[in-house]
Amino acid sequence: MKLRALVLALTVTALLPIHSVAAEVTSKSQQTAPGIFIDTSIYLPKKTPAPAILLAHGFGGSKDSVVTEAQAFQKRGYVVMTWTARGFGKSTGQISMNSLSAEIADVQQLISTLGKRKDVLQDRTGDPVVGIAGGSYGGAAALLTASQDKRIDAVVADITWNDLSQALFPQSSSDLAEAGPFKKIWTGTFFALATLQSAYLGECGALTNEWCSAYKSAVMNGQPSAAERKLLRSVSPVSFLSSIKAPTLLSQGQADSLFPLNESSQTAAVLKKNGVPLSMIWHAAGHDGGADEKKYLQEQYSRWFDKHLLKQEIDFPLFQFTKTNGSISLQDSTAIPKSFTATRLPFEAEMKKLPLLAQPAAMSYPVGGIPSAISSLPGIGSAGSLAATVASSFAGFSPAFVPGQSGFLDSAVLQEPISVTGSSRIKVRVTSTTGEATLFFSLVTKSPSGAVSQPNGIVAPIRLTNIPAEGRDITVTLPAVILDAAIGDTVAIGISSTDQGYELPKSPAFYSVTAQSPLEYPVISAVPAAGTSANWLWPILALLTLFGAIVLVYIRRPRPSAQERDEDFLVQVENLSKTYKDGYRAVDGLSFTVSRGQVVGLLGPNGAGKTTTLRMLMGLIFPTEGSIYMDGKAVYPGSPALANLGSFVEGPGFLPHLTGRENLDLYWKSIGRTSDKYLDEVISITKLGTALDKKVRSYSQGMRQRLAIAQAMLGMPDLLVLDEPTNGLDPQQIAEMRQVLKDYAKTGRTVIVSSHLLAEVQQTCSHVVLMHRGKLIAFGPMKKILTKNRQARSLEEIFLELIGDDLVIGKELS
Amino acid sequence: MTYQANQTLPYRVELYRQLKRKRTAFAYGFVLSLPILVAIAVKFGPSGNSGGPTRLGSGTTDLIGLATLGAANFTTTMLYFSTPFLLVTVIALFNGDTVASEASWSTLRYLLASPVPRTRLLLQKIKVSLTLSLIAVLLVPLSAWIVGAIAFGFKPLQTPLGATFDNATALSRIGIMTGYLAISLLFVAGLAFYLSVRTDAPLGAVGVAVGTSILLNILDAITALGVVREWLPVHYAFSWFDALSITIDWSQMIRGASYCAMAGILFYALAIMKFAKKDVTS
Repeated sequence: MKLRALVLALTVTALLPIHSVAAEVTSKSQQTAPGIFIDTSIYLPKKTPAPAILLAHGFGGSKDSVVTEAQAFQKRGYVVMTWTARGFGKSTGQISMNSLSAEIADVQQLISTLGKRKDVLQDRTGDPVVGIAGGSYGGAAALLTASQDKRIDAVVADITWNDLSQALFPQSSSDLAEAGPFKKIWTGTFFALATLQSAYLGECGALTNEWCSAYKSAVMNGQPSAAERKLLRSVSPVSFLSSIKAPTLLSQGQADSLFPLNESSQTAAVLKKNGVPLSMIWHAAGHDGGADEKKYLQEQYSRWFDKHLLKQEIDFPLFQFTKTNGSISLQDSTAIPKSFTATRLPFEAEMKKLPLLAQPAAMSYPVGGIPSAISSLPGIGSAGSLAATVASSFAGFSPAFVPGQSGFLDSAVLQEPISVTGSSRIKVRVTSTTGEATLFFSLVTKSPSGAVSQPNGIVAPIRLTNIPAEGRDITVTLPAVILDAAIGDTVAIGISSTDQGYELPKSPAFYSVTAQSPLEYPVISAVPAAGTSANWLWPILALLTLFGAIVLVYIRRPRPSAQERDEDFLVQVENLSKTYKDGYRAVDGLSFTVSRGQVVGLLGPNGAGKTTTLRMLMGLIFPTEGSIYMDGKAVYPGSPALANLGSFVEGPGFLPHLTGRENLDLYWKSIGRTSDKYLDEVISITKLGTALDKKVRSYSQGMRQRLAIAQAMLGMPDLLVLDEPTNGLDPQQIAEMRQVLKDYAKTGRTVIVSSHLLAEVQQTCSHVVLMHRGKLIAFGPMKKILTKNRQARSLEEIFLELIGDDLVIGKELS
Repeated sequence: MTYQANQTLPYRVELYRQLKRKRTAFAYGFVLSLPILVAIAVKFGPSGNSGGPTRLGSGTTDLIGLATLGAANFTTTMLYFSTPFLLVTVIALFNGDTVASEASWSTLRYLLASPVPRTRLLLQKIKVSLTLSLIAVLLVPLSAWIVGAIAFGFKPLQTPLGATFDNATALSRIGIMTGYLAISLLFVAGLAFYLSVRTDAPLGAVGVAVGTSILLNILDAITALGVVREWLPVHYAFSWFDALSITIDWSQMIRGASYCAMAGILFYALAIMKFAKKDVTS
């Protein structure tokens, strides 16, 4: 019952509505420049003044995209300011991709606004205690603002770019100065987001003319001009990193083909060199979707601000990353993201070498690049909120390797597993029939069955020109990945000549790629991030529970009466009553005594209270009132006085899978007696014979009965209590039983036998206790009872005379 | 008088009484059959020997997919298989049946009247039940290791988390996992024992204990319950996974072990207190 209540309580607790945040939010349109009105919101915590957090949104979103995050920070005790960037939502102005003189200048105005607020903690006048956080477009805004405004005290930048020209024209080799192939689908998605919702403004929508024409030129030429590269660099954190001084948390996603992990590595390397307090997270989400890590990330970001804005003592790991191959949810078979922490950043990792087999990879390039391999399709991650986990059902491992257009540089079958954390490197020689080549490299694993897995479908593009006939050697920086390969797997460098996401050459070609060095891969020793730090309070609590339980059991133990009576009588029953829980009074004020050497008959019809009395005598049930003494000592459960008693009550009880002999033997060993057990005597009295060595399961009722009586007699106790011993016996056995009891009493011991067969007992007993409805009716020597009314009669007649016609069991006494 | 209360129902006698029972042999038989059946299924099953190393399951880096690498991995996977139900049932059987079956055979009243003091009777029963339970828990890795060694040979333990341990380290990790598993089962053991004292129907006690474990597992699977789940003892059933990483994260195991031990102790204490004042009418 209690258990059910517990479960119910747990369920009810869980269903209670979750305490909601006292949502104090005020919206305001703020002018930041002539004609520019920025739509802002302020979230106030319960307690002010408090430090502030500026929360930027992703491309195509608005301040409404970050409400959940804003509320989480608000609940944590921060003043949160969100705003809609220029050109989006209700804010006016044009989009210039986080230009320092436009979007970033707006944010600086917002900081000044915070500097005037009484409810925001201030470092000094006009300089609020403020952090800035954002994802994607907002992440770049955060980094760029931190580089321009010294008032920023902490930064969190998620899934954002380091260098927009590298992100949109990726060239995955530091040997090559020219731009890589154009990431056309992603860029087109961006352009659409900037223009479609404001298409009424014309083909460029809300985008500034400068950016609009740069986009058009990139699509037309497939390559950026020098001016366009300069424009891209002007909104890239890489150009301004030396000005960032505020503690910075860089967060990047593994499921991100737009801004892959390397973007954050590049930023981190510079900040680390400049001595900026830094941490980095590589989570399992990203612009392509990935795993849902919002909760974990929100907690990490909050801790970052707690550490650097509230100045709390927090041990924040330098590098955290998520593995999704660790364990599978038992419920829905999805990967459970598990975080690890490391004390080194990936670019500081130890590089290990893995030799590759000599076979070159050869592949053709079809004219026009059709068909193309599909490594990943951009998710619609542009409305990205802070943790930007907009799912794309297209992300993943689509036909990334078209036969004939792709090849592999394989390792030998692994004899031990390897873990890669970060970017691997390899030197390759590339030949091309056209003197030019566009190739897409990735680090993959092949299972023994041949299945290729390309982590998150991320590729490292290379665009080569001027390849001599004998080929050109370059060192390729492979995509940063978190990859585990097992024994039996093969690690390989996958190379594809096509990829649908990129601008490809027009002319057909034939390429060969040969490994010129072993694969160098980064290894970081990482430990699982503690979900909750090891709390030694728990084991202490467990020990206290053990101690408490022992004390409780000891205190709550039944304390039997220490009263004694003189030893004249073997058994003294005093005013004994028993009322069961249902109110049935089975025994009512019963008193009698038994002396040594007597055979006492406890007599009465069914329901008279005989068995209840015997159970109390055996210490099985607790009297409601009164007490029993044996040899002058009180009887209670476990009372040593019971050691003088052998009993047979309400049928035999044996282990059915053991023989009669084993049962007797185990019983004797269990009862803590060291004296002789008189086994032979007992067996001869009860005439068990050879049946003793058969399993009790096979016994007849009579045999069980006799075995039970033998068990009661073991050790020849001073008092033998037998409850209905003749039940189920045939007349001959009854006669034998009668003799057994008489023989037992002859040894000077005492027998109490209960029965409802009065005539039967009349022939056996020396004394009688007559009961009816729990009450004593007569008590004394058999002869005296029988000669009552001066005339010898049967016990039965006397009994009926004593109780009248009140023989109906359970009839209420008037 | 030759009676000595502290000599009643000696540990060896009670152990012998329980070991002679068929259900004990059956329970151990179930535990032993698990690794043997799995090994046979993998070795001779329809998907066996289809080129490359034989694998269990479809994954390559998860615990099940790694099972057939060698004895150590096989042992770890068998621990994983037996954690949620097999061991729970066996432990519930050993603890839930022990007092209730005496009641149903009517032997309980003769032991109590002989007299075996009530608290002593339960303490001896607890000792023996826990011994039997511990043997069952130990049988899983022992038999799995032997079967795994015969079927798949000795190879380093490779964990789903990418770590690799030589056989000595693997053995110590398996020791930690088994130890944790044994402690975390104290909750079910205590609950079953408490129910055993409260009822005369052995199967009822076992069934309710197993049923409760299942119910709590279902509740634990409902993520909407949030932090409430952290207060369910079954929430920590698989925390021994943490012993598979290079540096062991002890936090969940410490909490889980303490929590389950606490729950077990409370149930045992409750059982003793209830039994001390119970009218034995069976």
